[in-house]
Amino acid sequence: MKAAIQVVICKCCTDVPLVLDLSRLEKLASDSDNVVSVAVVNAVCDGKELAGIVKNAVEKEADRAVVLACHKKDFSPALAKAYKRAGINEFLVEIVNLREEVVVPIKDDKERAQAKAETILNAALARARMLTPLERKKEDMRTRNVVIIGAGVTGQAAAGAASESGVHTIIIEKSTRTVKAPGIIMSRSQVVGAKGYSGNYELEIQAGEKSETLECAAIVIASGGGWTHLKGPLAKSVKDSIPLYELFLRVRSGPAPKGPIVVIDTPDPAGKTMKTQDYAWAAALETVIDLKKRSPETVVYVVFQEMRAFGVSELDYKLAAEMGVKFVRYDKGGFPKIDQKDPHKIVVKDASQGDVLSVPFGTLAFASIPMNESNQVIADALRIPMAQDGGIRRGSLQRGPVSTPRPGIFVCGSALFPKPREVARAEGEAAGSLAGEYVKGGVIEFGGSVAQVTAEKCSACLTCVRTCPYEAPFIGAASKAEIRTQLCQGCGVCAGICPSKAIDILHYTDDQVMEQTRVILGGDF
Amino acid sequence: MAEHRPRVVGFCCEKHAMDAVVLSSRSGRKIDASVRLVQVPCAGRVDGMHILRALEDGADAVFVLGCLEKNCYYDTGSIEGRKRVNYVKSMLAEAGVEQERVEMFNVASSNAWMYPEVVSKMVEVAKRLGPIGRGGEER
Repeated sequence: MKAAIQVVICKCCTDVPLVLDLSRLEKLASDSDNVVSVAVVNAVCDGKELAGIVKNAVEKEADRAVVLACHKKDFSPALAKAYKRAGINEFLVEIVNLREEVVVPIKDDKERAQAKAETILNAALARARMLTPLERKKEDMRTRNVVIIGAGVTGQAAAGAASESGVHTIIIEKSTRTVKAPGIIMSRSQVVGAKGYSGNYELEIQAGEKSETLECAAIVIASGGGWTHLKGPLAKSVKDSIPLYELFLRVRSGPAPKGPIVVIDTPDPAGKTMKTQDYAWAAALETVIDLKKRSPETVVYVVFQEMRAFGVSELDYKLAAEMGVKFVRYDKGGFPKIDQKDPHKIVVKDASQGDVLSVPFGTLAFASIPMNESNQVIADALRIPMAQDGGIRRGSLQRGPVSTPRPGIFVCGSALFPKPREVARAEGEAAGSLAGEYVKGGVIEFGGSVAQVTAEKCSACLTCVRTCPYEAPFIGAASKAEIRTQLCQGCGVCAGICPSKAIDILHYTDDQVMEQTRVILGGDF
Repeated sequence: MAEHRPRVVGFCCEKHAMDAVVLSSRSGRKIDASVRLVQVPCAGRVDGMHILRALEDGADAVFVLGCLEKNCYYDTGSIEGRKRVNYVKSMLAEAGVEQERVEMFNVASSNAWMYPEVVSKMVEVAKRLGPIGRGGEER
């Protein structure tokens, strides 16, 4: 196929001509092979200019383009759309970041900037000649289900937000509790397995004694923290100690807890197994204020290493102190310990006064709790990575703060790490609406720049199967590696590691990358 | 022949690393002109062959720029990339080429000061060692 390249040089308003000699670039481009048209524009991000370029491309019968402008992410969607209208495949538009790689950082040395610009233009032309058109495929989602794991505060918020997009929400809850939330609630159920890919997942659910399969398009993990159980030496030595959440529930509904009440930040103050968690400060203050309001005569001690009441919860700190809550600060000099003789007495050295206090208590509550034990089950079922502390691991922040490394699976609330209810609710809404938005369209887009196997070269060594973070490669019926295109994200880890060089990433093939490097190194430096 | 200019090639992942490059430029930092970037989808895409071919074609130093290991867009991509760079280093040691010529760096996309540091480090290496087989030790 003979390539016909259109070269577009963007002036980026006025920046580029101040440093570079555009006429030289233009001449270089028009003298190169396969170039049919060279256009210099003021700003390629301007809609009118863009329309002009595309019209020019159609007139000159160009089938691919090299655009010298700025950062790809800033304008490539608009550019790809415009070229698509002119019948040019989006993968045939090569974008060179002239502004941020050349003009701005090397504006003092015009001669070298010019040399660099010319070299990277040549390299881009060489790459553009080798590009092949690729199509992104579409597939309908079989269902419009969003499955939410966990019916806590976060799960309810997620269900509410997702149902605003008009999708079906199904909440899977481990316990028997009933909640008011849009959609179906499956209680006493747990996810034990999953198949499929983003948009068409097939979950295996253990509902009571029965095993069911459920198709869904997106999954929101809102499993929450391990609010009900405690871990750590202090908690072990006092049998009837409770987590802060339990204290909160008892204050709200049940009979008033037995006083005096002591709230300690962590059940392992001297060790390192359980750090004080972020939510502990605000949640402890909220709970003791609630308690003091209901029964003002109860004696309440808050024993914390440090009270970091941030934001408006600083006001709670002041209010709690005014209401008569006794704050005891300890440090490395004297960690809280249970009295050897009396198990209902705690000994702590007050760091601000220097006195050793012996505090009798009726109820002992701990503000830090371990992670939810169900996280391991969920992570194993959905095949997503865990964090070291036992939470679900978040994906890269560029994917979004409530995403997992796998597309189509979102995670929110205390499944990541324990946090206050308001924060968890906000995260739940975020994850729910993201899942809802994603499922609403009903179409999965995949393909394009994905891995491709040359079957003759493959020796079925399983290296790609083990390495891929998304489990896209598998050994097919012909004993050769194959790629599930729906799962492939196009990272190219398999292509880089394949010992027989049987896998290549389309759009970034070995030839394309090495040709670009060769041309770059052939130019002036 | 005029004074030899260092020739440095960087393989740059198009997610966090490219954002870091753009951010460092937008925050007005000066970057040495001896570096040419080759964009790849992920640091894990870089093959030992790409690095060796770049050295063969005349690069004095090659670096790979990827996401932070715990924040990689493709989960394990930058870890894989580092493994591969270390493998290339061991091959270079066998071939008698200085290992410092090839290096892997991780940058966060919000990190504007890292990329100029990476570049000055690699340019310094390229200047010190000169072209492969000429500068440094006699062969």
